[in-house]
Amino acid sequence: MDKETITPVRLPDPLPANAFDALPDEERNTEFIAMESRTYFQNVWANFRRNKLALTSLCFIVLMCVLAIAVPILSPYTYDGMDVQALNQLPSWKHIFGTDKFGRDIFVRVMYGARISLSVGFAAAGINLVIGVIYGGIAGYVGGKTDMVMMRVVDMLYSIPSLLYIILIMLVFGSNMFSVLLGICVSSWVGMARLVRTQVMSLREQEFSLAAEVMGASRTRILFKHLIVNSIGPIIVSLTLMVPSAIFQESFLGFVGIGISAPMSSWGTLANEARMVLNSYPIQIVWPVLSICLTMLALNFLGDGLGEALDPKKR
Amino acid sequence: MTEPILQVDNCHVWFDIKGGLFTKKQTVKAVNGVSLQVRAGETFGLVGESGCGKSTLGRAIVKLYRPTSGTIRYKRQDITALKGEQAQEYRKHVQMIFQDPYASLDPRMTVSEIIREPMDIHDLYPRREREARVVELLQTVGLKPDHIRRYPHEFSGGQRQRIGIARTLALDPEFIVCDEPISALDVSIQAQVINLLEDIQKKLGISYLFIAHDLSMVKHISDHIGVMYLGHLVEIGPSRELYRHPLHPYTQGLLSAVPIPDPKRARERHRIVLDGEIPTPIDPKPCCPFATRCPKAMEKCFCAVPPSIQVDGRQVACFLYQEGGRAASEINIK
Repeated sequence: MDKETITPVRLPDPLPANAFDALPDEERNTEFIAMESRTYFQNVWANFRRNKLALTSLCFIVLMCVLAIAVPILSPYTYDGMDVQALNQLPSWKHIFGTDKFGRDIFVRVMYGARISLSVGFAAAGINLVIGVIYGGIAGYVGGKTDMVMMRVVDMLYSIPSLLYIILIMLVFGSNMFSVLLGICVSSWVGMARLVRTQVMSLREQEFSLAAEVMGASRTRILFKHLIVNSIGPIIVSLTLMVPSAIFQESFLGFVGIGISAPMSSWGTLANEARMVLNSYPIQIVWPVLSICLTMLALNFLGDGLGEALDPKKR
Repeated sequence: MTEPILQVDNCHVWFDIKGGLFTKKQTVKAVNGVSLQVRAGETFGLVGESGCGKSTLGRAIVKLYRPTSGTIRYKRQDITALKGEQAQEYRKHVQMIFQDPYASLDPRMTVSEIIREPMDIHDLYPRREREARVVELLQTVGLKPDHIRRYPHEFSGGQRQRIGIARTLALDPEFIVCDEPISALDVSIQAQVINLLEDIQKKLGISYLFIAHDLSMVKHISDHIGVMYLGHLVEIGPSRELYRHPLHPYTQGLLSAVPIPDPKRARERHRIVLDGEIPTPIDPKPCCPFATRCPKAMEKCFCAVPPSIQVDGRQVACFLYQEGGRAASEINIK
């Protein structure tokens, strides 16, 4: 060990006569907590900031959202404006991602696709959150026969192949964003409901929820103020995984050709269009696929980071 | 003699275990015909092994469980049937301190939110005064007002238990069920919490039902003690009497297991070692619950449940003392 770095504690010489006496009561501070006091959100932010990967992911997603809003407005090209003079061009300063077989600017189309993909993703996650949390929370908290019936309904929904009713919904409501969203949400809230139910079931036996009951808290209060708030970590994590899975599902629908109809574009339909010219212009498929991959990765990292930061026990 | 503030009469709390396809439906008789009285301002200690039903009884008193039969009367009013507003009113008077200070505080709430919650629920005090009241309560339990924005996990076990006590006091209760409030704490901290509970009792005149398995602590804090075994109260008496002359063979065995901090005296003492395990409370046989382990068991102990009788101003449920049998002192173990 480096000897110079150690500075020995210098005791006053000679020691005062009372050095070994007990401290008077006023000077004793056994209740002292060295850690500074911070509010919940300061705490969450401080935790989150330390996770560089999650922070980068957040920046990426914010950037993606800003671009998705701004690019189609500011760009000289529109998502459906064709240009016969410039078909299937490679990336250049004029068209930074190149153009497709109708001469449409791919950059604008990808960003326009981001609008649809991201809004489907976030909207689906939001709907799942509300339905799943309330449904699962009630099933888990009430328990007994109510729980039995509610969960069997969930099992039934889960067992129907989703493609089947998505196609049916498309037939009835037409292929627009609403029906895509509806199709995705019908089955995916089930996962959230199951998660919340198990969380609530284990938390409801904890003493703090019994304490709330003894205090006279209503069941709604216990469920929403104690049980669901305490399962917020897993909920957030599963929520951030739900966004990419909805984006992926939408892209998949677009890719198999039953999603958003042309000339509108989502990342899935863009990839599908690029697939048709894959042999001659492979560069065209890179952009939508890259967007899907990066967004999914970023959302996953963000979910992990948030789940950790939201836990007040971690600093 | 003053009127009892809480009177439990022949209380049973049974739980059904659902039978599966091939198993019969079974009943756990956690509390099986318990009667006791707690007077205003006094502490009633409830002792017994783990699983003997003392916590279940405590929870029935704060209306977490509904008794299968029997009554629990608080100030002459049967509380088992209370609903809605009356139940809320009852909750203001009767509160509970929990065993595990790590589990009984919501980890996502700050200390201020935790202590304020009961006031928010019952809409006590004007909104603005609640914060001041929280600070006051914190000081009552010996914590600093600047701890108010912190989360429970930042505190030590003893501090958390005091936060729990502050939360309980927020409603100004008259009766508190203490469900093993010290068993999860270090010995040095136990004394702190016990002293705090005693101070509060002196200051506010609260009655306690003190549930514990630490016999010396119970002796210290209680005026009366009840000994529970397998859902039955086998003996009730004033705490000093009960410690000096335990009547029921189970109480005798229990007390002989209390460590004595003096090796000389400890060596001289005759220890009663109870053989066997505590029987299961699932569908118990209709006999004395202690008969299987009792060193003095007689034939009739296996045939009927002994009724509780008065002996020397105490209540004992044991056939040894039935019908003027032997005098209490003869059977005592010196």
